[in-house]
Amino acid sequence: MAGTKNHDYHILPPDIAPLATTIGALTFTTGMVLFMHKMPGGAFVPWLGLAILLASMFMWFSKIVGEAHAGDHTPVVQLHQRYGMILFIASEVMFFVGWFWAFFDFSLFPSTIAEVVGGQWPPKAIEAVMDPFALPLLNTLILLCSGTTVTWAHHSLIHGDRDGLKKGLWATILLGLLFSTIQAYEYIHAPFPFGQNTYGSAFYMATGFHGFHVIVGTIMLIVCLKRAYNGDFTPRQHFGFEAAAWYWHFVDVVWLFLFVAVYVWGGWGYPTH
Amino acid sequence: MATTADHFQAHGDGHGHADHDHKPSFFARWFMSTNHKDIGTMYLIFAIFAGIVGGAVSGVMRAELAEPGIQYLGFFARLVGDNPDDFNATLHMWNVLITAHGLIMVFFMVMPAIIGGFGNWFVPIMIGAPDMAFPRMNNISFWLTVAGFCSLMASAFVPGGTGMGAGTGWTVYAPLSTSGSVGPAVDFGIFSLHLAGAGSIMGAINFITTIFNMRAPGMTMHKMPLFVWSVLVTAFLLLLSLPVLAAAITMLLTDRNFGTTFFDPAGGGDPVLYQHLFWFFGHPEVYIMILPGFGIISQIISTFSKKPVFGYLGMAYAMVAIGVVGFIVWAHHMYATGMSVNTKMYFTAATMVIAVPTGIKIFSWIATMWGGSVEFKSPMVWAIGFIFLFTVGGVTGVYLANGGVDDVVHDTYYVVAHFHYVLSLGAVTALFAGFYYWFPKMSGRMHSEFLAHVHFWIFFVGVNMIFFPMHFLGLQGMPRRYPDYAEAYAHWNYVATIGYMVMAVSIGIWLLNILYAFVAGKKAEDNYWGEGATTLEWTLTSPPPFHQFETLPVIGETAHH
Amino acid sequence: AVFGGSAAARAAEAASAGTAAAGYTPMKPTPGIGMPVPGAMGLQQQFSPTGEYGAWIHHGLLWVMGLICLFVLILLLVIVVRFNRRANPVPSKTSHNTILEVVWTLLPVLILVGIAIPSIDLIAKQYKPAPKTALTIKVTGNQWFWTYGYPDNGDFEVVSNMLNIPGQPVINNGVREVGSKPWDGPSHLEVDNRMVVPVGEPIRLQITAADVIHSFAVPSLWFKLDAVPGRINEKVLVVEKPGVYYGQCSELCGAKHGYMPIAVEALPRPQYDAWVLTHAGGVIDSRVKAAPAAPAPAAAAEPAPAATAEASQAAAGDATAAAE
Ligand code: HEA
Ligand code: HEA
Ligand code: CUA
Ligand SMILES: [Cu+2]
Repeated sequence: MAGTKNHDYHILPPDIAPLATTIGALTFTTGMVLFMHKMPGGAFVPWLGLAILLASMFMWFSKIVGEAHAGDHTPVVQLHQRYGMILFIASEVMFFVGWFWAFFDFSLFPSTIAEVVGGQWPPKAIEAVMDPFALPLLNTLILLCSGTTVTWAHHSLIHGDRDGLKKGLWATILLGLLFSTIQAYEYIHAPFPFGQNTYGSAFYMATGFHGFHVIVGTIMLIVCLKRAYNGDFTPRQHFGFEAAAWYWHFVDVVWLFLFVAVYVWGGWGYPTH
Repeated sequence: MATTADHFQAHGDGHGHADHDHKPSFFARWFMSTNHKDIGTMYLIFAIFAGIVGGAVSGVMRAELAEPGIQYLGFFARLVGDNPDDFNATLHMWNVLITAHGLIMVFFMVMPAIIGGFGNWFVPIMIGAPDMAFPRMNNISFWLTVAGFCSLMASAFVPGGTGMGAGTGWTVYAPLSTSGSVGPAVDFGIFSLHLAGAGSIMGAINFITTIFNMRAPGMTMHKMPLFVWSVLVTAFLLLLSLPVLAAAITMLLTDRNFGTTFFDPAGGGDPVLYQHLFWFFGHPEVYIMILPGFGIISQIISTFSKKPVFGYLGMAYAMVAIGVVGFIVWAHHMYATGMSVNTKMYFTAATMVIAVPTGIKIFSWIATMWGGSVEFKSPMVWAIGFIFLFTVGGVTGVYLANGGVDDVVHDTYYVVAHFHYVLSLGAVTALFAGFYYWFPKMSGRMHSEFLAHVHFWIFFVGVNMIFFPMHFLGLQGMPRRYPDYAEAYAHWNYVATIGYMVMAVSIGIWLLNILYAFVAGKKAEDNYWGEGATTLEWTLTSPPPFHQFETLPVIGETAHH
Repeated sequence: AVFGGSAAARAAEAASAGTAAAGYTPMKPTPGIGMPVPGAMGLQQQFSPTGEYGAWIHHGLLWVMGLICLFVLILLLVIVVRFNRRANPVPSKTSHNTILEVVWTLLPVLILVGIAIPSIDLIAKQYKPAPKTALTIKVTGNQWFWTYGYPDNGDFEVVSNMLNIPGQPVINNGVREVGSKPWDGPSHLEVDNRMVVPVGEPIRLQITAADVIHSFAVPSLWFKLDAVPGRINEKVLVVEKPGVYYGQCSELCGAKHGYMPIAVEALPRPQYDAWVLTHAGGVIDSRVKAAPAAPAPAAAAEPAPAATAEASQAAAGDATAAAE
């Protein structure tokens, strides 16, 4: 009969979050245009947009957590979420393909016409690159380590060890923050500027987008930690945590590619700093 | 495709219980929707609106091209605030018009209509699901599309280099779109694509998850209607190609505003890199626009031939093949960029391969009708029109695939003719076919079959008159993206513009038909097309209940295609 | 001998060898040659070896395309006539036929292979690099005009603007087509200074751009190559017959994309040299030219009466007319 649902899918009531999020996004992009062209409003509209965006996303995700508590996340709905997350990560992979494409185009076929490049990689204008085996290597170890700590948290969760879950998450988050801090330090002290030539462009945009993903991943983990303290997640049902962990591993793998390609191979034989 | 629901109790679900169908209040229903059919309806209304805007823009273009010289551009340039004495701004207006036309038609008409509209409406129903996997995300996909459209509209009224608006072409090639277009217009355009793209990626995730996980009991992958298959393949193309576009246009953005040099030769950047990234997205994109159309045509042909689709598995996997090969042919848009001979040969060969699975589809449709008892109801007439027109557009694609031959027609009206045959005569024809097929199902009202036939014939004559002569212009060397041209091209351009007027009449008849349906149309029965229509939507009322399949249908063993 | 310079060209060369290079008068274009023809439906007539080969493939492709469309159309019409509801009230239930499915997979494959063989050959021929001794011309696209550099002739540069840009001050007073000056060509296509090239020999075009992407395209010479800033694209151009060949910028490059035409004027060597000498700093290319490849058989030497006649006429014309 109409109104009696005989299946396990999640039929949702109307919700304002999508429209609110969209308004946030459009305000943000419009604000960015104003900002980039130094037009009136450029100083605050992006922030306004960002605030709306984050607030509505917070509202949205809170609802999801609430629905999980309400038991709406039946096994089939959890399966949806798994598929959704995998597909989302697949699209993220393709996003990074774009940046790696640019990097390899520049490094394998350096321009012979542009004086700043002079047909070599790294370009002539670059006097020194980062020593991949100094801080970047440390960062690699930090991320690898964080990959294991997040797995530690996961195992603890599965075995009902709430304390281990929290510790593992704390460790992962701290490692993530450490990574971001070191990355920021490196950016500040890098021997080459942002932009200006292909090296600066490809390097900063690829690693920068990775850094952005690290921050997003860290936020996801912080949410998980908070939820762990709230008593959320059961050994059998904790997809919110798993999604964050998957995302974290994805960020980890992208870094490995960046480290090998951009830092090590991309600066091979060049003076380091 | 006979996926009859053997154990499905249509009457337990909604029939005569419409008043039990608790619908939310107006605002909640349309601004906060989590219902795939309502969201589908909004997508369709939005697409029709965008199609009329994009079609009107092309009308302005055809008027300007009716004869050599510059006639109307100045008026439109002034309309958006350009200096009337600035001839460059007047000419720039042309580029703004074609850019808007291309982007609107591609991102805000075809994609929202065919995937967002029909996909949303019928994919869940055809697989026997109550809704999409992520109903809330479904809604943001729609709103982001609207937001993208708003951003694009905003771009027309701000400076974009030589004049108001973004005049880069829909391909947004650097460095014309970077150093060549100072001012905020192109940034609005880029963000428009970011917004609409994000919406489409989320839509793709939603469709894939829905199709993989929400098929009714017994609805195996190999029993899914071909429309569902087509949307599945399309969703994968979206998922994997759009992020690359996102990266490419983000590079444009940082080149424009933050001093990177991805495409700036002075910093060692490479304008051709942009083209690679764009077309790595752009070629799959053209199949994104046509595959769901293939799906619609399959449903219609089978329904009105009263026969199951011929070679169902071949049809499904042909689409998969088109999708896969579609990812490795992108550089056929770049033959003139100075690529190496070997690369050119590879892309020539790879591109031609796609004609094979596409041929399988064409011939299987014909074989489906062959031996059938074909009823020429309006959707069928449109579908048959599609088969022929798409073939014409497809073979000229094969012509263009030849790198050595493309050299002479690249960036001429021959290309414009090719892609309008597959888009404006292919994808749009499929859209109208789907529209007449499902309109009564969606609205509950029958349209006029007579007007639908008249619409078809006038449209058919009109669009052929617009676009067939463009082949001649292209072979004679008339370049694309020109507001003005040599006298020698005047004749066929004039014919094309007359064709536009003919076509416009048909659009009027179509709108009239919609009006007629709502004002005086008969109430639509559950299955108004009769025995040939066997997919699950025909087991529901017209329009279907607000929530269908509250008890899942069970697809029997005997059901097959 | 695809790149071997045509007999006609050499004939023209021989004919004018006596009239020593004394000056230059822009050639009067022949209506319908090297430019679009009003109301025409096909390719422009081709004046380069690749163009002739390409046109041959084009005609083949037209047949293939036409027949495929016709085939599909006929099948559809048969269905309309034989399998409509009245003619065939009971639908068959056939939904498989392996042989048929194999045939309609393999047949297109064969057709495509048939297309691919000449087509790939054309690509190979088109991109054969120029001989070392070939004359180099540097083509640069600018917003919105072309410049042509002649490094082998003293490195002078020709700036080429469209004549009479609508809405702009008139650059060169004259009426189009049948103008007061002999070089007034078709509307939208004629320029003040043409890119002059020697006829019948391979020329190395090096193409680049100064600002945004443009594309150097001449339909009647089967030539199109993008002018990309930061890149130098290279390709051989061979013009078989003296004449003026028009083209247009073929990559969207901003407001006046439609108003930067290309005019290639092909002249026999002596006249070409004379043209070179009209430029400050112009010197005659003294390097030894590659001897033309084996003479083409006389039968293949289709004369282009109009073009050749015009060429020699122009060459013989009063040198004072050259003053712009
Ligand atoms: C719906 C959209 C759509 C579709 C389906 C296609 C389909 C195809 N397209 Fe097209 N194309 C576009 C949209 C589309 N295209 C657009 C928008 C552009 C221009 C973009 C821009 O620059 O702005 C473009 C441009 C374009 C180019 C670049 C031209 C240039 O810029 O110089 C090329 C070159 O290879 C090409 C090739 C093809 C091929 C080979 C197919 C094939 O998929 C066609 C296959 C179909 C058939 C062949 C017909 C049916 C088959 C049979 C009946 C079997 C027998 C046939 C044979 C044996 C040949 N297309
Ligand atoms: C789907 C894509 C699409 C469609 C439908 C059209 C439709 C039309 N197009 Fe366009 N066109 C492009 C995509 C499309 N075009 C692109 C990508 C370019 C290249 C831009 C560039 O160079 O950057 C282009 C360029 C282009 C040019 C070349 C401009 C130039 O190079 O200078 C011209 C010239 O005449 C033209 C004309 C037309 C005309 C007269 C129509 C008419 O057919 C329009 C009539 C309108 C319709 C037929 C649509 C009606 C549909 C609806 C109202 C919605 C229906 C919805 C449902 C049923 C749910 N178009
Ligand atoms: Cu220069 Cu187009
Ligand atoms: Cu393509």
